[in-house]
Order: sequence, then structure tokens, then C-alpha cells
Amino acid sequence: MLLKKKKGFIQELYLVEIIKGLMITMKNMLFAPKVTIQFPEERRNYSDRFRGMHYIKATNGVENCTACMLCPTVCPAECIHIEAGERPDKEKYPVKFEIDLLRCCFCGMCEEACPKDAIKLSNIYEMSTTYREVYDKQFLLEQRGNK
Amino acid sequence: MPKCIIDGREAEFTPGQNLIEVAKSAGIDIPLFCYHPGLSVVAQCRMCAVEIEKMPKLQTACSTMATEGMVVKTKSEKTKENQESVMEFLLANHPLDCPVCDKSGECDLQDNSYKHGSSYSRYTEERRTYLDLDMGPVIKKNMNRCIHCTRCIRFGNEIAGLREMVALKRGNNTEITTIDGRPLETDYAGNYSDICPTGSLTLKDFRFKKRAWFLTKVPTVCEGCSKGCNMEIQQDNDQIYRCVPRENLEINRHWLCDEGRFNFHYLEREDRLVDPARSKSSGIEICDWGTSIDTAKATLEGQKVAILLGSDLTQEEASSVLQFKAQHYADSPIFHFGTPGVVSSKDDGPEDRILKQKSKTSNLNGMEKLGIPGFERLPAEITAALVIRGGRAVLPPEIDGVEKVGIGVFMKDQAMMFSAILPGLSFAEKDGTILNYEGRAQKLKRAVQAPGQSKSLSEILMIWTNRKNSHGVA
Repeated sequence: MLLKKKKGFIQELYLVEIIKGLMITMKNMLFAPKVTIQFPEERRNYSDRFRGMHYIKATNGVENCTACMLCPTVCPAECIHIEAGERPDKEKYPVKFEIDLLRCCFCGMCEEACPKDAIKLSNIYEMSTTYREVYDKQFLLEQRGNK
Repeated sequence: MPKCIIDGREAEFTPGQNLIEVAKSAGIDIPLFCYHPGLSVVAQCRMCAVEIEKMPKLQTACSTMATEGMVVKTKSEKTKENQESVMEFLLANHPLDCPVCDKSGECDLQDNSYKHGSSYSRYTEERRTYLDLDMGPVIKKNMNRCIHCTRCIRFGNEIAGLREMVALKRGNNTEITTIDGRPLETDYAGNYSDICPTGSLTLKDFRFKKRAWFLTKVPTVCEGCSKGCNMEIQQDNDQIYRCVPRENLEINRHWLCDEGRFNFHYLEREDRLVDPARSKSSGIEICDWGTSIDTAKATLEGQKVAILLGSDLTQEEASSVLQFKAQHYADSPIFHFGTPGVVSSKDDGPEDRILKQKSKTSNLNGMEKLGIPGFERLPAEITAALVIRGGRAVLPPEIDGVEKVGIGVFMKDQAMMFSAILPGLSFAEKDGTILNYEGRAQKLKRAVQAPGQSKSLSEILMIWTNRKNSHGVA
């Protein structure tokens, strides 16, 4: 049988305990270091291996990509769409290279699969938009990450 | 049956079988490049060399016949060492352009390099390069990728019957080319790309369209002529990318003609009619199924109707038309049509010495089995015709003068002569049976979805039968 211990009236008010708890709150609020930053002015440093916005690397103005289709093959989210074509200065090049950003899960497997060092993930992480974003080839070629 | 021992496994063989075939039947794969079961044996790639007990040196499995009690080792140290050396020699000059090459994914050199080669190259000299001449409309050549297996030369000599590919120069500088750099002449040029173990000879038609590993392969039969060659439709996302031959030693062996190989293109033509339509004075008008069937019924009502069946329909479709005829047009004559000049299987025959038949539709024999006579001219009293075909039977010019209704695959310019068109299915979009020129029944298999609003023939005939006209009578 559970016996209830009798407490005095002062103890029943829990005043001491409330003050003890408030002390901890005040200590953290006033003296502990802050974890948030003033975002647009202050920026956090991420690791070099951070996987952000995609870009296509170009060498001497010619895209490295040869449309070998290894990135759409390995992509678990199926967000990459490539159409291959031929032009005089390059046997095979991507006529169309699109990344559907809403589907992308930033796993970085495309970067890993690429035999030509063409598709890369940069450090840029500010990608939120109010519309459905599909990166086309022109955008991916022009945008360079800070890598 | 005599037996030999391969890798410790007992394998039965018929005398005269080579070790590659015997090993294959025992479930052992011997790597190879120049051997092809449909071509003569030259044993020049040296990849299939295996160790045989009591023989001092390695023997090429393609040119060695199995004998009673032979003990073969395909995975011994010596064999593996040879395979690795052969791969190193072949890859010394092979460009590293697998990302660009159309063959990658189904390339013998790639597979064997992965299985038997070393991942490290010791070669530091400059690789030899060639300038490539145009090889005609079918084949794109890239001589840098060639490993001199001479399968293409032997194919031309032995199967196509044209000595058009030759090997020039010797040793490292060997160049496989056409004589004087002429374009390929054979009608079987697509096979060069199939037998090439590397990406040296690839199809221009398939160039950069799709990587091989994305394709879904559907085994079916070619509808190009009455030979009934076995082939495989390779499609992705309901679009056909190419057709390749399927081995059938009794009909087409390993080959397929270009006509059959590229026949599928008409299915994806822009001007194919995939919606029900009726023709007006201003042109053809797309309408719904009900309207077009009503127009079709009105056209044929009260007329003397002849039913014309394309001999590219399957047996199942032809019998459903026969049932439909018994129900609605019991007195009408019925004919089959297909190729101009080929009325019955008596007119059919081989067109060349390889595969092609004169009848350019697949099921001529089946139509005759069902007792449908061939079309020569319309009987004089006929005033309207119901034309039912797949996509390949050629419309006979004799039917120009009468009112017509068409069911099946039609292009827009053909549609003008019909008062109503009910779009049907082509050979790649339906299942069914066809009988080839020797009466062999083979199955068509559906590879892609029906495009647009087109329906199968039995479905169209069912709507036709069940649809009530304006008086409420079926």
C-alpha cells in the first residue's frame, strides 16, 4: 500500500523549487554563449565537403560533360534529365541538362559517378524559391560554387 | 554421348562441337572476341585460349574440338595470365571514351576487361589513331576502337555475300575498312553493329539516343516480310529505340535485314493518325469514337460492302473479323491484301539468298489458312469497302473508286481517301500469332502502349457491334 508522506503548507507551495528553476533559466539566458547568428550579415563556415547547389565544370569554355548518362543512372531521386547530341568541336555533348531541384536529395552520387569531373556540388546552400525550380544547362554552366 | 571434363565438371558433347559451345552448355563462359557462332572460326584474338591437359601450350577453345576424356581448365593460373595479357594488348590502343561510346553497357571489350583485365595500364606511348571515312547511311565507324577481330569481314564474305570490308596493312597498323572507302552496299548492314564486339561499328540511327542499360527488351517477331525473323524490340518509356535480331537457328539464325530493323520508325511518325477521324470536304477532322463509328456505319449502310483484310493482321484479329463479318456482313466478299504482285503464297518466295521474302507482310500464310482469298480486283457490284490493316499492307489502287472505311494504322495523307478512320494497333503494340512462309506459328508480343486513342481491333469491333444508332437499334 502506497503511503502518502504528509508535507507542511510552505512545502506544498513549491516556492523554493520554483526559484531554483528560475535561477537556471536566468543563468542560461544572460551568461551562456549564443548558438544563433545574425544570418544575412553573419555566415556560418561549412566543410569543403558540403553538398549544395549543382554546377557543371567547364574547361576552356567547353563543358566537361559528355552526356554519358551515368549521373541519371545513379541518381536515386531521378532528378537529372540529359539529352545527348553531336557538334563539330565535340563528339558528344549534352543538348539538354536539367536538374529538378524539388526532387534532388543532395546525396552527391552524381558527383561521385561522373567520369569527366563535370557535375559538381558547390557550397551554396541558399536555394529556396517560391516556384518549382529546374536548373537548365545554361544556369549550371554559369554558376560556379565557391569551391 | 561422349564426355569431357571442363573445370572439373563433366560435359556431354556431340562430336565436332568446339570447346566454347561445350563449355557454354555446361554453364561455363569462356571469354572471347573473334568467335561468333554464325561465322567461320579464325582463332585470332587469342582470348579464348584454355589449358588442356597433356598439351604443352594453351589452345584456343574456338578452334579446338572436344574429344572423349579431354580435361580442360578455363580458370587455371596459365589461362588467367594469358587472358590478362591479351586484354592488356587490346587495351593498349583502345581509347578511353566509354562515356561517349554507344556500345558501352553491352560491349564485349568492356565486360571482359572488367572480368579478366587489369585495372592498371603500363602503356605510356602515344595511341595510334585513324581518320574515319563515311560508311553509308547505316553504320558509323570509329576505327580507333577496333580490336581487329575481323567479325565484320567474315560477316560480309560469308553471310551478306559481299566482300566489302577488308583489312589493310599489317600488325599494329591494321585498318579494317571498305574497299576504296566506299559506303556499305549490303541490305544487312545493321548486323555489322550487332556483331562488332566494341564500339567500332555503331548504328547511325541509334547514335546517342539512349544508353544500352536503360532499354527494356521485348522478344517479338519482325513484321517486315513473311520470313518471320525473331527480333527484340528495345524500348524505354513507350518509345522504341531500336530492334535487334534474336537468335533462332531455324529461321534467321543471328541476323536481321535493315528493312526489318528500321521498320519500327513508321510507328512514331508525326503524321500517324492516332485519334478517330472522319473526312470532310475541307480535310480530315478528328472526332470522338462515337461520331467516327456512326460515320463509318452510315457510309457502309445499304451499300454492297467488301471487306479487305491486310495480311499484316494477326490470326486472332483475322478470326475476330470473320466473326464480325458473319454477324453484320454475312453476304459480303472478304479478301486479303498486302504486297503488290503477291496475291497468294504461290507468288511468295525468297527475294535474296539470305532472309528476305517477296511478301512484305508477315501473315500471308495465316490468312490463307483461314480460307480468305487474295485480292485481285473488286467484284463489279461492290460500292463500298471496309479496309482493315496493321501498318504494313499496301493499299491496292483498285479500291480508289468506292466509299471506304479504314480500321488500323494510317498516315494522314492516306486518311483522305477514307470517309472514316478508326485507329488501330501496329505490330509492336499488340499480342498475337502470325504464321510465317513455312507455316510456323510465332508470337508477337506487345512492347509499347497504344498511342493516342487507338484501340485494339477486337475492341473497335465490339464498340461497332454494341453502339446503338439514332433509332436505338444496334
